[in-house]
Amino acid sequence: MKRSWRNLLMLLAVFALAAAACGDSSESNDASEGGDDSGGEAMIGDGVNVGLTFDIGGRGDQSFNDSAAEGIDRAESDFGISFTEAEPNEDGSNRAELLQLQADQSDLVVAVGFLFAEDVRAAAGDNADTNFAVIDDAMLDFDNGAVPWADNIAGLTFAEEQGSFLVGAAAALKSETGTIGFIGGVGGFGLIEKFEAGYTAGAQAVNPDIVVIPQYITQAPDFDGFFAADRAREIALTMYGQDADIIYHAAGGSGAGLFEAAKEQSESSGSKVWAIGVDSDQFNTVSEDVQEFILTSMLKRVDVAVVEVTDAHLNGNFEAGNTVYDLSVDGVGYSTSGGFVDDIVPQLEEFKEQIIAGDIVVPTEP
Amino acid sequence: MSWFTNLPSWARWSLAAAVGMFVLTVVQRVSGTDLLTEEGTAQAMLRWSIPILLAGLGGLYSERAGIVNIGLEGMMILGTWFGAWGALNWGPWGGLAAGLVGGALGGLLHAVATVSFGVDQIISGVGINILAPALTRFLSERVFSGEAGGSVSQSPRVDGFGNFTVPGLADFLGTIRDQEIFWISDVAGFSRGFVAEMSWFTLIGLLTVPLSGWLLWKTRVGLRMRICGENPNAGESLGVNIYGHKYLGVIISGGLSGLAGAFIVLELAGLYRGGQTLGRGFIGLAALVFGNWRAIGVLAGSLVFSYPFGLSLVDFNAESSGGATRALLLVIAIALAGVMVWAQRSGKRGDAILAGLFAAIALVWYLGTETAAAWLPNTMPYALVLIVLLFASQRLRGPRTAGLPYRRGET
Repeated sequence: MKRSWRNLLMLLAVFALAAAACGDSSESNDASEGGDDSGGEAMIGDGVNVGLTFDIGGRGDQSFNDSAAEGIDRAESDFGISFTEAEPNEDGSNRAELLQLQADQSDLVVAVGFLFAEDVRAAAGDNADTNFAVIDDAMLDFDNGAVPWADNIAGLTFAEEQGSFLVGAAAALKSETGTIGFIGGVGGFGLIEKFEAGYTAGAQAVNPDIVVIPQYITQAPDFDGFFAADRAREIALTMYGQDADIIYHAAGGSGAGLFEAAKEQSESSGSKVWAIGVDSDQFNTVSEDVQEFILTSMLKRVDVAVVEVTDAHLNGNFEAGNTVYDLSVDGVGYSTSGGFVDDIVPQLEEFKEQIIAGDIVVPTEP
Repeated sequence: MSWFTNLPSWARWSLAAAVGMFVLTVVQRVSGTDLLTEEGTAQAMLRWSIPILLAGLGGLYSERAGIVNIGLEGMMILGTWFGAWGALNWGPWGGLAAGLVGGALGGLLHAVATVSFGVDQIISGVGINILAPALTRFLSERVFSGEAGGSVSQSPRVDGFGNFTVPGLADFLGTIRDQEIFWISDVAGFSRGFVAEMSWFTLIGLLTVPLSGWLLWKTRVGLRMRICGENPNAGESLGVNIYGHKYLGVIISGGLSGLAGAFIVLELAGLYRGGQTLGRGFIGLAALVFGNWRAIGVLAGSLVFSYPFGLSLVDFNAESSGGATRALLLVIAIALAGVMVWAQRSGKRGDAILAGLFAAIALVWYLGTETAAAWLPNTMPYALVLIVLLFASQRLRGPRTAGLPYRRGET
């Protein structure tokens, strides 16, 4: 009895380890692939490998990570680089190891998400001849006068409040009840509040009396709010019940729950309610069943940032420190897929001009 | 109090619920909120209680058969993946069936390890909890990542079962609610949440409670399963196939956990996503202890545990959020004060002092804040179980030999 007990335990342990090892998707794209696309011509990126490290959700999350994936695909065809992808395990505990793995085989490592900030600082110290770029974190040492942490670390951030301002204006222009909602994924660490602040400001610029209902799914350091579609759905249904007819989410993967709620509410109440997507053009990434409920999406061009930082690296212009992608460089914006906002595009463009010109200063805190 | 203990269990729980509703109604008036007894709160509570209920019932079958099943969480994860996969291929019923089978396979693994090989039940359960997320991720990469909207960590969108409303009853309760009679209207409004816009899957989940009570306590196979947990040697001497019935209990346990996972996918989230069970299997175990290893007790536990959570999801408006969750602190203070009085009268002075102290802390906390902390609803199930264990541990009685290995012929 004792023997079989031990054997089985070992078998189980091996099983678990093997399966856990399978859990990390680390796929390598052949270096020659990019060259084939260009018809054999020599390209600037030949022989250069970029390590794209996704955050939880990875390629296929229909939102933030997909946008980065789109960028690296474009960099591959434009510059002829090769790239490797990696995605952390479910609790995100292996971020440091993945960065080291990427640094071993890449000249530039792009980490998608502010959760990488700490680990990138450590990895950049250990790999001085590799450049690192982090999306969504300024990567500046604010305690010592906002200088870059190191010469090989760049932070790529976005003026999310400006893009949110435009979709907030769109919501106010389209709302029939005069009440709109905002669902944030995780509150309490500053980033998502920028979305709320811009959205509210944009809505109030159109209609000073508009009621905005804000709610966050979780508070930092609990980051479950970015992949809690079930909770987002419940919150959205409550908001629609409180008379909101348009809800904007800045909650990553939880957005799926909002779209589901929009469909459910529209079908059960008989009057159509809307959802506004975030990061990617979500009209194009969600399933067809819920497409018709997506009014517009706040675009955060992570793909542009990925392409540009690759370009800079290839041309020897890699710059340490913070680069901000705002409306003036089309780093943020709104989408028109589905044609639901076509009639208000002139007004939105006008707001856009005013923000770029500095006539409207969008707040970053609600 | 002997009249109370002489009542049948459904009557006891109903009475407790009525008293609980009375406390909620009073607190609601005092705190200036109307969410505590709203229909929407009841609906959210009910929806979120089903996974906990099914996992708790899963634990019930397993522990009644003498096997501690800490792998409920892992079996639930298997249920989420298989539920999504089944629903994608064959619609909601396919999802339900596939989730059930997926979880049952996890149960089978646990049964092989613990019953046939005598592996320590905790170790095997933990092993399943580690194995399940890795396995589902591997399967997602193989199956979902190729499809539109799918990836290594999520499935494409799936359809749920749809909702129904009990025709006359919902209108009747709605009428009483609108009369605004103290307590009566509150009870009616809250109860309406149980008959209006309820998912078919929720109904299936609720029906497993009487079914389990009947199966375990009124049938021959139930009696045989329970003797595996109480005194397997005596059962063996009477010719009961102990190994077989332990297998049955653990496989049913896995199947119910899988059903819980399928419910999360079909009715709550609308898709499979890695890590979406968020420890609900463990809360199911807590509901099992809270409910004293009884089917209806598990139901009560899962409703009580999901109440603060459901409340926190609807607890916001344009001005603020967390106001009603704060009022729960007063409810807790009152409940603990009740425990204090009860402990004092039964001559347990230590318990009374402890309960009084906790009640005072909850009251001070209530008075000192405007809105509750965001982490409070998530912690409440665990805090409640600790309180129950602290003050009612002598009244709780689980299966006698649950957790102990059993070998035929060895005593």
